[in-house]
Amino acid sequence: MAHSLAASFSPAAARRQVTNVISSRSSVSFQSYRMTSVSISSRPSSLRFKICCSAKKETVDKVCSIVKQQLALPDGTALTGESKFAELGADSLDTVEIVMGLEEAFNITVDETSAQDIATVQDAADLIEKLMLEAPPKVV
Amino acid sequence: MAFTMRAVKVPRNSASLEEARHRVFDFFKQACRSIPTIMEIYNLDDVVTPSQLRSTIAKEIRKNQNVTNPKVIDMLLFNGMEELNNIVEHAKQRHHVIGQYVIGQEGLVHELGSKDQGNSDFLKKFYTSNYF
Repeated sequence: MAHSLAASFSPAAARRQVTNVISSRSSVSFQSYRMTSVSISSRPSSLRFKICCSAKKETVDKVCSIVKQQLALPDGTALTGESKFAELGADSLDTVEIVMGLEEAFNITVDETSAQDIATVQDAADLIEKLMLEAPPKVV
Repeated sequence: MAFTMRAVKVPRNSASLEEARHRVFDFFKQACRSIPTIMEIYNLDDVVTPSQLRSTIAKEIRKNQNVTNPKVIDMLLFNGMEELNNIVEHAKQRHHVIGQYVIGQEGLVHELGSKDQGNSDFLKKFYTSNYF
């Protein structure tokens, strides 16, 4: 039903509609109601939905694997969302390098102020989620 | 092709160690963000991966990690910036980049792996010293 509604709008709106449907867990009917009322400017309001969701599991896992590879941790170390980079033996340059690796892996750009706050794996995953929602990943 | 010099201006001296630290991280980020350009200019795609280049850059920065004088750090950063500019402007050539940043610091033979493995002990020690 969502797709038929989306087809009646402009292609840009339809694409956004489809990606919103795929990525969010909210009901489809609410999204389509939003699209009928206003055009492009309704995008910030639809963003309000996603802030309440925490970082997805596969994002956290991907971050964990990059961290493990970067710091050359042995396979047995417990790496959860709450592990701090400093506890894992990373100094500040390692942390910046991990952020750069995440930038490349997820095709995002982390700005200076956000990068200061990253202390745990969960912080990094949440920041990645936020950035991936605000700017759709660049199509290669 | 015109040489577009990036960051030619000499910035003010860092007021404190903390500011110098921030400058180091900014330089590192700038270098990492120009890695895709570098790999494309010098056709490094089948020789090295971006993460290996990142760790090489980090290793170079870590070599000087015990420096505490902000002015010395500024000077090192200036040198690093100049090197990065040279590489990005294509003022260097592929064998320069590969020899300095890809192959490694311990000498060419060691990092490249097995050429004639186990042929002669004498030859293996030949490069390291005269006496063995």
